[in-house]
Amino acid sequence: MGRVQYIGRRLLMMVLVLFGVTIIIFSMVRLIPGDPAFLILGDRATNEAAAQLREQLGLNKPLLTQYWEFIRGIATGQLGTSLLYRQPVINLVARRVPVSLFLAFYAMSLAAILTLTFGVLAAVNRGRWVDHVVRIAFLFFITTPAFWLGILLILLLSLRLHLFPVSGYGQTLTDHFRSLFLPALTLALQLSAVLIRNLRGQIITVQYSDYVRTARSKGLSERMVLWRHTLRNALIPVVTIFGLQFGYLVGGTVVVETVFAVPGLGQLLIQSITGRDYPVVQAITVIAAFFVILVNLIVDLSYSFLDPRVSYE
Amino acid sequence: MLTFAKSQVKWVALVCVLTMLVPMLAACGTPAAPAPATQVAAAQAPSGTQAPAATQAPAAAAKKVLRMSRQTEPFSPFIPWQIDDNPALFISVNIYDSLLRMTPDAQGVQAGLATKWEAAADGLSWTFTLRDNIKYSDGSPLKPEDVQASIMAVAKSPKSSWAANYAAVKDVQIVDPKTIKIILSQPFAALPSVMAMFCAAILPADLVKASEAKDFDVTTAWKTRGTGAYYSESWKKGDPIILKRNPNYWNGTPAVDEVDIDYVPDDNTRILKLQGGETDVIDFVPLSQIASLSGQGNIKAQPFTIAQMYFIMLNNTVKPLDDLKVRQALNYATDKEAIAKTVFFGQAKVANAPIPPGMYQDKSLIGYPFDLAKAKQLMAASSVPNGFKLEMQVRSGNADYTNIATIIKDEWSKIGVDVNLVNLETSVVRTNYRSGNYQSEPSGWSNDMNDPTQIVNYEMNGGPNMQFAYWTRYDNKDLDAAIAKADVELDPAKRQAMYYDIQKKFQDDAPLVWTVYAPATAAWQNYVTGFVIDGLSYYRFETVKINK
Repeated sequence: MGRVQYIGRRLLMMVLVLFGVTIIIFSMVRLIPGDPAFLILGDRATNEAAAQLREQLGLNKPLLTQYWEFIRGIATGQLGTSLLYRQPVINLVARRVPVSLFLAFYAMSLAAILTLTFGVLAAVNRGRWVDHVVRIAFLFFITTPAFWLGILLILLLSLRLHLFPVSGYGQTLTDHFRSLFLPALTLALQLSAVLIRNLRGQIITVQYSDYVRTARSKGLSERMVLWRHTLRNALIPVVTIFGLQFGYLVGGTVVVETVFAVPGLGQLLIQSITGRDYPVVQAITVIAAFFVILVNLIVDLSYSFLDPRVSYE
Repeated sequence: MLTFAKSQVKWVALVCVLTMLVPMLAACGTPAAPAPATQVAAAQAPSGTQAPAATQAPAAAAKKVLRMSRQTEPFSPFIPWQIDDNPALFISVNIYDSLLRMTPDAQGVQAGLATKWEAAADGLSWTFTLRDNIKYSDGSPLKPEDVQASIMAVAKSPKSSWAANYAAVKDVQIVDPKTIKIILSQPFAALPSVMAMFCAAILPADLVKASEAKDFDVTTAWKTRGTGAYYSESWKKGDPIILKRNPNYWNGTPAVDEVDIDYVPDDNTRILKLQGGETDVIDFVPLSQIASLSGQGNIKAQPFTIAQMYFIMLNNTVKPLDDLKVRQALNYATDKEAIAKTVFFGQAKVANAPIPPGMYQDKSLIGYPFDLAKAKQLMAASSVPNGFKLEMQVRSGNADYTNIATIIKDEWSKIGVDVNLVNLETSVVRTNYRSGNYQSEPSGWSNDMNDPTQIVNYEMNGGPNMQFAYWTRYDNKDLDAAIAKADVELDPAKRQAMYYDIQKKFQDDAPLVWTVYAPATAAWQNYVTGFVIDGLSYYRFETVKINK
């Protein structure tokens, strides 16, 4: 099967997966106890006020009608109206998607830089102090809670050194790069811990392969052996984990978004779950699922560039 | 073996420096230090807004901008009677005015948009005299039709979240261009207080009408036309809220030209922003941080007394909580001082009365002082002399409630009550107590008005329409009748006596376990003065000065 056909098949599967996601998320949010009307109106709401609000928000409609409206909304890009904010969901979410994607890609970029740098460094210095320092440092990063790591970075790089703002997103593109550096670094330090260990292990394994021995015996420099032969093969499983971590990033940045006051999807998702804002929870989940599937498709496609032996069936 | 010994360190150092340098170089020319409060805050304005000519000061350095970082964003539609959340409420009092205002000590009301108010002899109407020459932020004059439309909206609109407080309002009549008469279905002593609430704010009649439409675009409500000290041009969730000084404000010229409010949900981050000079004022400062922040030379932090109390809800219909002796024993077994010291770092006061500090609170009541011997005595004489098991549902993520519950568990164990703490999500806890599916839970209340009618009806009045006496299912028909009488009594002295009697009787029946009155907190830079949180937790930026 060629690449084009492979992509076509995966896109079709994406539609089916997203359809399944809509059924699951639609059912799950409605199974959680808690009446949205009372959550919106607060403790002092009367039963009459809550009943009125439920009617206004369309919560009394049959479930199938609500589900049909949800699916139709996805197809037309309308996504319904937020119960909490009384605004079109698309307005709320559309402003946050770029923020979360920016943060996710920024974090992944930093993670890639850290992984390549320190993964190779640890591998080529296997058993020496450099290897131990790298592994201990990144073990610390992955075991440290994200909110605490974030606060430490703020204390050092914002308060002491005044290099970056404490929080926020900024207005211009350059503001975004500066404001999101600390949250992205917080995420990247934790993501790269797993990647570095994996890459280090893969490099150590691959360097004993026959083709690497052959390359050396042909007189190639160590740098050439590493970059042209060892690394490309070592990266294949690392890229897989890299792709899976993007899925974690799309939904798992709530803590970092809260600590750094980044107006992303994570914060909005938590507020919406707590407030039983069904349309927003549904929309964010579908969007997150879409990006996770898309990124994993890109990761799968990247294998053939790393290893020409990979074919699509 | 791969070896790159000599170049590795240089290579790693280069990568690390580049990783840090790229974002810094990207902002080349932008100062890393925060802009001082007096500089123009153009960078923080939401995109698409245009400053009206009136507020563009001839010299940018002359503009006073107050930066505030708050815990939570608003989410309700920004029409006063449709507001359900505190973040929106605290902003609305800076943009809109009501006919009356609460006095700074929260004991009474004072003139707002009305300068005179009096009740008819039969108590079935109140006449308000409007202040002269009031203008909205866009320069248009306030008209009596606006007052009529706004008050009818808060009282009768299906979209009003506060209509229950205005149930006695039957009609609003325009007597003349300066005089409004509010017609009541029954005498209502609390009318001045409810007219001082944020939700009874006066908006232009055309905006009131537009907000009633089913398809009203709530985002347009942030382009405000109010009579308050500030106005907003627009706001989108996620952006800072920008409030600009109203050039037509009736109550003088506020010293601060602009207030920029951003949202930083994490307590530690807000504090770090203040310490880093990136903001001027923050709210919801953890009580554990008040002392350390105050100790820093450039920051002030303090608690403010507000009408807020904490208590333990008891389901009075569940055995053995239906036994008066048990409920009183639980009250005596609770060491409120320990809660005030441990949970609130000594900044809370022991609750002596069943309503928060404010109008008609009976300060002479002694409540239930901690007395373990008396508690044991009551338990011995109760229906469960050997103690019992009690479930306490605690809202997960709420540190105060969790800490209070932990202390209570230990204290009540000494009288044989085995408390099982169950952590549940807030919405589940709320669903449970509304349906009666709970035994006990820590809870709290803060007043929305300074008149006690709201808290007394909510906390003490039985029946489904009154939230079952704060969901305790306590039902005392004699007390209900006394409350109804107090609501319509217009003589202040008689009314006070009635409320004192009501408080004593309710407290004696102990449907709740009262613990403490807790403060609100804020912190600000030394160069900011005049920032005050009043008894209803409002703060008005018109009193703030930036001395820089």
